[in-house]
Amino acid sequence: MPGFDFHGLTASFNGERVIGPLSLHVNEGEHVALVGKSGAGKSTLIRLLYDRLESEASLIPQGLGLVNALPVFHNVFMGQLDRHPGWYNALTLIRPFRRDRDTVKALLKELEIPEKQWIPTAALSGGQRQRVAIARAIYRQAPVLLADEPISALDGPMAHLVMKTLTNRFSTSIIALHDVDMALRYCNRIIGIQDGQVALDEAASSLVASDIMSLY
Amino acid sequence: MFSYPTVRASFIFLAIALGGLLVADIAITTANPWQDLGRFFLGVATPNFFSTEGLMTALLRTVAFAFVGVTIGSLAGFLLALGYRFLPVRIFCAFIRSIHELFWALIFLQFFGFHPLTGVLAIAIPYSGIFAKVYSEIFEESDPEPGRLLPPGTGSVSAFLYARIPDCWEQIRTYTSYRLECGLRSSAILGFVGLPTLGFYLESSFSQGMYSDAGAMLILFYILIATLPLWVRPKLLPFYILAAPFFLGDGFPIVWGNVERFFTEDIIPAPLRDGEGLAGLSAWFGDVMVTEALPGIWNTIVLTQIALVATGIISLLAFPLISNHFGGPVRRTSGHVLLVIARSTPEYILAYILLQLWGPSMLPAVVALALHNGGIIGHLIGRQTNTIQLRPDSPTGFTRYSWELVPRVYRSFLAFLFYRWEIIMRETAILGILGIYTLGFYVDSAIQNIRFDRAMVLILITALLNIGVDALGRYIRRKLALQTMQTC
Amino acid sequence: MVIKHLRKWLVSGLLSFSAVTAVQAQTFVFTAIPDEDETKLVERFRGVADYLSEQLDVDVRYIPVKSYAAAVSAFRNNQVQLAWFGGLSGVQARRLVPGSEAIAQGVEDEAFVTYFIANTSTEIEPAGSLADLEDNLRGKTFTFGSKGSTSGRLMPEFHLRDTFGEAPESVFSRVGFSGNHTRTLRLVEAGTYEVGALNFQVWEKELADGNIDTDAVQVIWKTPAYPDYQWTIRGDVNERFGEGFKDKVTKALLELDDPALLESFPRSGFIPASNDDYEPIRKTAENIGILD
Repeated sequence: MPGFDFHGLTASFNGERVIGPLSLHVNEGEHVALVGKSGAGKSTLIRLLYDRLESEASLIPQGLGLVNALPVFHNVFMGQLDRHPGWYNALTLIRPFRRDRDTVKALLKELEIPEKQWIPTAALSGGQRQRVAIARAIYRQAPVLLADEPISALDGPMAHLVMKTLTNRFSTSIIALHDVDMALRYCNRIIGIQDGQVALDEAASSLVASDIMSLY
Repeated sequence: MFSYPTVRASFIFLAIALGGLLVADIAITTANPWQDLGRFFLGVATPNFFSTEGLMTALLRTVAFAFVGVTIGSLAGFLLALGYRFLPVRIFCAFIRSIHELFWALIFLQFFGFHPLTGVLAIAIPYSGIFAKVYSEIFEESDPEPGRLLPPGTGSVSAFLYARIPDCWEQIRTYTSYRLECGLRSSAILGFVGLPTLGFYLESSFSQGMYSDAGAMLILFYILIATLPLWVRPKLLPFYILAAPFFLGDGFPIVWGNVERFFTEDIIPAPLRDGEGLAGLSAWFGDVMVTEALPGIWNTIVLTQIALVATGIISLLAFPLISNHFGGPVRRTSGHVLLVIARSTPEYILAYILLQLWGPSMLPAVVALALHNGGIIGHLIGRQTNTIQLRPDSPTGFTRYSWELVPRVYRSFLAFLFYRWEIIMRETAILGILGIYTLGFYVDSAIQNIRFDRAMVLILITALLNIGVDALGRYIRRKLALQTMQTC
Repeated sequence: MVIKHLRKWLVSGLLSFSAVTAVQAQTFVFTAIPDEDETKLVERFRGVADYLSEQLDVDVRYIPVKSYAAAVSAFRNNQVQLAWFGGLSGVQARRLVPGSEAIAQGVEDEAFVTYFIANTSTEIEPAGSLADLEDNLRGKTFTFGSKGSTSGRLMPEFHLRDTFGEAPESVFSRVGFSGNHTRTLRLVEAGTYEVGALNFQVWEKELADGNIDTDAVQVIWKTPAYPDYQWTIRGDVNERFGEGFKDKVTKALLELDDPALLESFPRSGFIPASNDDYEPIRKTAENIGILD
């Protein structure tokens, strides 16, 4: 089920409706950019979708959710904890297996942080930490990507590299982005959120940046 | 000012303590208390390190009991913390930690006798209850996000190992090493009931007025605690933990029949043992309550409340000693030394010393509890003031103290104080063994008269009292919205 | 990793405990109530241990304890097989260990006495009967010895209750337990307590050694005589140490004639004793409610 169809998505905070009710239909192969003002409900929507999709989706939350005391390797490895028995995971905590080391290393290389593999994530810069969370999401190998501002701390070339990688690695993705140009360039569908409702839903090819700016 | 709930609460407690002073037995009964105190300080100034051949062994045993007890306590506490969300586990933990190490030792002495297990369990059992509580609090405060991001279907063990433990590890480590220091103090005082640790010799030297010998032991003990960070290294820890069981001393073999007898006969109330039935039991229980439990409870509460307020006063007086906002480095260093001594001396030993010097009354107990606990809280508050940035033109001296600093730290000060309320009460009960008429006095009397049934009833009452104060303290902290940290 | 350490640790711990058990099985251990300063006790009973070891041909070890109850418990738990008890602790111990026997007592213990002493600042004059002292004693501070002591607690409390018909707490303004006789002496001498009660032997010995400031403290009343200290042995020692072992121990104690050792007790010698000799103590203890 790489594509999905949800109806009646709602979320409230302190008794106040922040999302919906809205319906969302996404086909396999679509890369959706969620755009809109901060506070419009993008993060909440991504959370909602993650709860619905369960094992189908990899999530990159805005807060990253890294375990700071663990090295980069283990943070990435956490993406596949469900595939191994407990003893295997426990052993990996002490001494990782060669196969996993190589896979993770290759992934980190792609994101240009291979030398950080054994450094605790607490010691990394913001951009490096963001890439660790991205590596973890990729390593999980779920068909759908849900990402909340995944390139907010990355500089130009790196942001492009990451967006390219993400859209290549996942057949379907929903990415909250505040960078409109990035959204238009890497996604094929743009959904604009305003006050918890869908205010815009078009193919990226039919839009220019100024169309989207009206949401802000 | 009375509109602040914290201020109101403070004055209510102050009033209770003043009321307590009216009924409390506060006196110096020795003819020459200052002369004795002088002799004691002279003894500390002229320590005799070669008094007992056993001194070094005692020191080694003190360390060994602390290590083994704290290790077992932290492992058991860790396991209990995993199940802490279940009410029965929480009740169990609250119960075992509400009974003081010395009471546990007195219980185990009755059937294990002078076997190393007595000392080890006396530390490990209450500590595992404390560890369980604090560890579970640490777990609760850890970041839940990494756990939420794990792929569904991850085993709970794997999830715990990856998403929980690493995040909490540093705090767990810090707290456990702090507890090791407490373990050394507990281990030392176990000597007072006959285990082969430092307290054994300390009690002997003190009771015989050999202050130079006692001074030497105290100095060695301070050095041991002060140098803790130097010799307790993560790399050396496995070595210590493996070696410690071999240095507990030999003691005497356990006779298992004694264990069975203790549980099936000794602690069964006498009327039931003698077949007098329920009528006999209620008469017996009434007698225990009226002649021992109630006077003990009353004295324990009075002394606790006075000691609590005295602790507060000492902490407020003591924190400027180490605060950056007053005086120079020389005074601060001496302040640090003073507070380290105050908080490394177990209140039991402090009370024992003062009791010898001033004679029996509640006064030595109040001063001992206030000095020890005030030293701890003063240290924490003083450290906290060092993170406060005052404006460049802020007043100095007493105005700075009363207008700038005290208002800023008052809430955390109260939080620490209420956190230690239960600890102060547990200690108050125990000080009864030294001859102050709190619950410990009656427990000790029952044990001296070989009436373990009575002793157990009184220990249970003490435990319930502690659990009650713990709950009340938590209620007040919540009511006043006071935050606290565990390392207190 | 933790588990592995733990297992290793447990195994080594158990090994060390069991090794100890094997070594100690053949050691004859005794203790004594801590009625005096510990240094004195250790010195005295190490001498006794050496003597017994020589006479009995087994390893003999003395262990010091911190309280009367600890001595009784160790005896009851078979961690010691022989003990030098006071009258009351002996009665308690023999009640708890069926088959145990009082085998020897000091010559002086047949007729033991408690001294009531007072700090001279109280200006209490010595008297022939306790009743005569009533006015002087009321409202003073008073210390017993240990809670479980015969001469330091049981007998003085008995006589106080018997004479005044009241609990000591209501006769005196403050009642304490010093812990042992030497300390009672020091506390009254220093004025911490105004009046105290102690074992007459301790008083006499300290007096002879010149350790008492007689200007500060004096004896004000002496109790009638009662039986006190004795050696008590467990009933099962023969099974453990061989037939006739109990008799050998009894014989060794009765024949102890090393003047230095006897002087340290201080006793002039040991004479046979029996459980029945201590009936008066048991009755007194029941009378004032220390024994059920």
